[in-house]
Amino acid sequence: MIEKTQIIINKLGLHARAAAKLSHLANMFNANIYLIYNEDKVNAKSLLGILTLAASIGNEIILQASGDDEQEAITAISDLFNRKFDEES
Amino acid sequence: MIKSLIITHGNLGHELIQVAEKILEQKLDIEAIAFDWQGDGSDMIAQLEKFIAANKGHKIIIFTDMFGGSPSNIATRFINKNVEVLSGINLPGLLKFFCYEESSKNFMKTIKIVEQGAIEGINIISEYLGDKND
Repeated sequence: MIEKTQIIINKLGLHARAAAKLSHLANMFNANIYLIYNEDKVNAKSLLGILTLAASIGNEIILQASGDDEQEAITAISDLFNRKFDEES
Repeated sequence: MIKSLIITHGNLGHELIQVAEKILEQKLDIEAIAFDWQGDGSDMIAQLEKFIAANKGHKIIIFTDMFGGSPSNIATRFINKNVEVLSGINLPGLLKFFCYEESSKNFMKTIKIVEQGAIEGINIISEYLGDKND
């Protein structure tokens, strides 16, 4: 299992379209992937689960993955966060 | 495969589909029927009959906007082992339906999961956040 701390840098935070992109990406990996924010841990493959975090810009969340492609999953997901979910120029 | 249909007062169903497609960035396999305010429901009955006939051999879920409303009451007439109605559909419920990867495997389980997603999408936000911060 690996973990990575990730800061949310896009203006709208983990809103609907971002959560949809994130869950879609997470579903491409075999690994179990979770997002941990405060006391909450949600399945990164669940759009509605991600939305329940209500996480905003500046918040720090932990990406956690376990499985054969855990490293690729964390790298790809972290990249999506850092690209601001491709929604800002 | 589960076929889906959303029937509502006015264009609510069309709008819900449009928003869900925007969020999921994909064309969704679902149709919408709007209740004709001036009519007696016969148009809606005919469209439902046509949809069900066209999707014979499939399980069908009909989403309606409100339990007890005309669209829901009309849809209820069509319930059988292959057709179920879920009332009070909202955006979280609809997104849940299209994201639920097991959707084609177990009809009633899928409907239960969607129902749960729709209900969990309703929150008094200050209480929700308060509980989280306790």
